[in-house]
Amino acid sequence: MKGLLEYCRGNSFLHSCNPLIKIAAAFIMCVGCFMCSSLIYVLCVIGITLIAGYSAGVGGKVLKIFTSLLKLGFILLLLQIFFISEGHVLISLPFGIRVTAEGLHFCVLLALRIAGATLPLALMLMVTKMSDISGALVKKLHVPYKYAFAITTALRFIPVFADEMNGIIEAQTARGVEFDTKNPIKKISLMLPLCVPLLVSSVKRIEDSSTSALLRGFSLRTYKSGVKTYPFHLRDAALLSVAAVTSACGLLIGILI
Amino acid sequence: MIELSNVAFGYAEGPVINNLNLQLEKGSFTAITGGNGAGKTTMVKLISGLLKPTSGCVRLCGTDTRELKAKNRAKLCGFLFQNPDRQICKTSVYDEIGFSLSCIGIAGGEADKIIRETAEMLELDTKSEPFSLSKGERQKVALASVLAANPEILILDEPTTGLDYRECMRIMKIVADLNNSGTTVIMVSHDMEIVADFAKRVIVFEGGKIILDGDCRSVLTDERLRCISSVLPPQAAVLGQKLGGRFSGLFTTEEIISDCILQSQCRMHNA
Repeated sequence: MKGLLEYCRGNSFLHSCNPLIKIAAAFIMCVGCFMCSSLIYVLCVIGITLIAGYSAGVGGKVLKIFTSLLKLGFILLLLQIFFISEGHVLISLPFGIRVTAEGLHFCVLLALRIAGATLPLALMLMVTKMSDISGALVKKLHVPYKYAFAITTALRFIPVFADEMNGIIEAQTARGVEFDTKNPIKKISLMLPLCVPLLVSSVKRIEDSSTSALLRGFSLRTYKSGVKTYPFHLRDAALLSVAAVTSACGLLIGILI
Repeated sequence: MIELSNVAFGYAEGPVINNLNLQLEKGSFTAITGGNGAGKTTMVKLISGLLKPTSGCVRLCGTDTRELKAKNRAKLCGFLFQNPDRQICKTSVYDEIGFSLSCIGIAGGEADKIIRETAEMLELDTKSEPFSLSKGERQKVALASVLAANPEILILDEPTTGLDYRECMRIMKIVADLNNSGTTVIMVSHDMEIVADFAKRVIVFEGGKIILDGDCRSVLTDERLRCISSVLPPQAAVLGQKLGGRFSGLFTTEEIISDCILQSQCRMHNA
């Protein structure tokens, strides 16, 4: 996932929207996925997100995240499909295990919902600077800066830690650890000792960041601090409308079917 | 010993190394230097087999690094990273050194003997906890875990960064002793004083290409060094160039001091 959740520079429509509107639109799209149990609707949400991603110049990265989420969804599908026995039986297996139409629908819907609900948030993170997210939360919603900073820092550290983990894996490979084994259990047992250096470096990094923030007057910040203003424009209304209409459609379809 | 033929490599952001050809002899001590982002670390990672070239091939003792398994690679080539914390993953020095040995299939009494010998050589307490040690001590623990495998090639990526003079010299003395006993050493460094004191061959890298390559004296006293690279020659070499004459070929502080002492002794003798 290295580099996938990082901010990507650009001057597209999505890049220029208000950070708060982008957060709101992403959440509305996520909620929409859970309001409707139609597979076609969830696929439409994923499609809209992919189109939005391509229009912002990050389509390739959104697609990569989508394929990763599909893999995760497939694992969940395999874990659940054999435990739902209600409904029309499609396949009968030994030991009374059955694959039913309802079970299959539920599992596929779950896998797609995970993708549909995650992609808008991932896209939002790719087109919005972390400093703008915390800035807008503080300026517009008057969220205390320390909480906004904690949220954005947690998100910002995901790629940083992924990078650190890659470095640790590289260092251990140089010592002769065979990470390219195909046995998943062996792979997990090899990865577990790496938690120690990762934890140590994470704690050090967080300690350094907090000291640095305190020295730069972190505790003195209020919602009035900060140079940037985050005004609302017509394009923000347009983005919010698209998200709202998509979710309203989901709600309507959910009620009708 | 080490042979790079038409090697090219790049990351997603773009190519880093293009058409690189290089040969390093057994028992040599080579320093690789250059500006930030010049491709030094990428090159040593290619040599160690941690990175695979996109084209061309890297051979260690005649074997293509693509064909070497991690275990065999570690036996052949040890790699000391700039940040020792990425290497250390055990809670005691004994276990840390032992982990390297277990990776290459050495265990039991033989492992115990090697651990104790290596710890003794580096003056390390096997019972101490690596993460509670100073950076210099942690670097020594990382070095001990690399040396325990007794590699024929030792790669050091900026091993002295962040260390005080004493710690720096302790580590470099161990490396120099290993080199004298036949280990091939490749060291990436920005510290030109260290390079001048220990390396036999210097390679200057810029933009993924070798711009200067030769024995330590010829490269460090080359007047082009400052013009075409981001490397500042050692203070002694700069002083030697400024003084000119018999000083112009000198590049270590010791050489200049020795020359001055010799000269003053001659004058006293003549007087």
